[in-house]
Amino acid sequence: MRAVVPAPRQRTMTQRRLVQIAALAGMLLTFAVMMLTNTARDVGAIGLAPWVGLFGYETGVVGGLAAAALGIGLWLVASNDQDVAVTPLTLAIRIVVFVLFALASSLVGRRMREGERTHRSQLTLQSALIDSTLDGMCLTDAEGNVLISNAPLRRLSLELGLPAEGTVPERLIAVAARTTEPERYRIRMRELGQNPMASSEDEFELRGSGRVFRGYTAPITDADGRFGGRIWTLREITADRELDRLRDAFVAGVSHELRTPLTSISGFLEMLRDEEESLGEAGRMYLDVIRRSTDRLQRLVEDLLLVAQIEAHRLELVLDTVELDDVAAAAVEAALPTAHEREVDLRLELDGAPTVHADAGRLAQVLDNLISNAVKFTDAGGSVTVSVVKNGAFAQMTVADTGVGIPRDEQSQLFSSFFRASTATRQAIPGTGLGLVIVRAIIEQHGGTVDLESREGKGTTVTVTLPVDSGEAAA
Amino acid sequence: MRPRVLISEPNAEVRRLLELTIERLGYEPVQPTPCGPPPAVDAVVIEPAAAESHSLLHRFGDDVPPVICLSVYPREAGLAPPESVAYLVKPSSQTALGVALRDVFSS
Repeated sequence: MRAVVPAPRQRTMTQRRLVQIAALAGMLLTFAVMMLTNTARDVGAIGLAPWVGLFGYETGVVGGLAAAALGIGLWLVASNDQDVAVTPLTLAIRIVVFVLFALASSLVGRRMREGERTHRSQLTLQSALIDSTLDGMCLTDAEGNVLISNAPLRRLSLELGLPAEGTVPERLIAVAARTTEPERYRIRMRELGQNPMASSEDEFELRGSGRVFRGYTAPITDADGRFGGRIWTLREITADRELDRLRDAFVAGVSHELRTPLTSISGFLEMLRDEEESLGEAGRMYLDVIRRSTDRLQRLVEDLLLVAQIEAHRLELVLDTVELDDVAAAAVEAALPTAHEREVDLRLELDGAPTVHADAGRLAQVLDNLISNAVKFTDAGGSVTVSVVKNGAFAQMTVADTGVGIPRDEQSQLFSSFFRASTATRQAIPGTGLGLVIVRAIIEQHGGTVDLESREGKGTTVTVTLPVDSGEAAA
Repeated sequence: MRPRVLISEPNAEVRRLLELTIERLGYEPVQPTPCGPPPAVDAVVIEPAAAESHSLLHRFGDDVPPVICLSVYPREAGLAPPESVAYLVKPSSQTALGVALRDVFSS
């Protein structure tokens, strides 16, 4: 991509000198014409005025006044030669007019040159600004031709081997074959061509080198809201992806390793069950604490491994016909002891719960996560309502609580790994910040969606929407 | 005579746990020999992530007994040998191992 931020055409000293010479030559030529054609009376001083103005514009006040003096002198010579009467008044008027004209022209010229310098300086700063980012950026017109591009984009274009000619979509599609998913890449590019007003963010990896890039493009519109072109950005995220990979490998490795000591702990705890009666009351209490902690550690390991699977896009579902009311009833029943212990009223409302084609185990995990969150974040005396309804071609599972809620500015981060709302950390409510990540990944894998509404101090409602079985939907 | 179950587990504590569990379940736990022909057994419990488990199975030649995998990795990791009849992920309960062994011997 060859285009750069366009700098205004800077006039060189040579160009300015040429204009000055032209102004002088024009003045002398006008004088010569007046002399040769005997037209000093008809043409008069007015014929010399433009050249005085031009000279003053280019050279400034001193040059302008000098040109005015020369113009008056030439006019006097011509007038004298052709016996044109010059009274002191007419001479004074011409001198004043020439001087004012020269001054005005020189001031206008100076203002213009200053404006030009300021504009040039601003463009240089803007150019430096967009060149100093790590992202490659360019702006294209409605046809996709590059209007402006920055230095990182020109460097990345060279490294990617993008063709030097053509529109941006044409140049980008030229490297499709070198990506790890050429067909997906081509489809994305075609979609962009078909939807001029669409924004798009996409990642692609180059085959062989393993370099990963994230591209973003958004339309720009003119004052009337019509499509006027696009802004494109390109960022290399190879290092980010490598860090993600290392983090996932580390988490997965540690989690797998944790399973070995967990096997010993939980296995020997199971052995101890037979001898529990022989323990004193304190011993049994200690055993309960160890058992609960082991269960918690085991859940944490399972969650970490599941998130690693999710982030590596390796989450697999075992699909079957699932009665949602059974899943919901089982999840509520499992959570009842904890709800009673916390004095939270846990209710189940079923209204023609439909059948879905889903992974029953994973859906149970979704509801377990949502219900345990709701119970955990609801104070004694509050309530948690789990409902399952059919809504057209969709099934909706809702878990609504009257708990502490989540601050509005934190809600967008709730589905990020390890994020915990301030309402949770303030009250030291235990958790890993993985539950909602898992919920969303499982539901999206089923082709569904998760929506969350929350008001701090009022409560939270999470709605899971799933497509129902086609047979069920038809019925 | 009690059915004999060979245990191939790299971690000493888990190995000891498996011995006790298998004993409790009514079977005879057997430890592998370091080399040569493996002992005659009716089933094998292995950690498929350990190389020694695969070399042990190799020593059985064509006459590999039913294999129960008890692994730190999920089944999707693809570690299970073709002879495996059950796959459990650690930490697995005594009941789950009991069911797997009962299925092996009932069949």
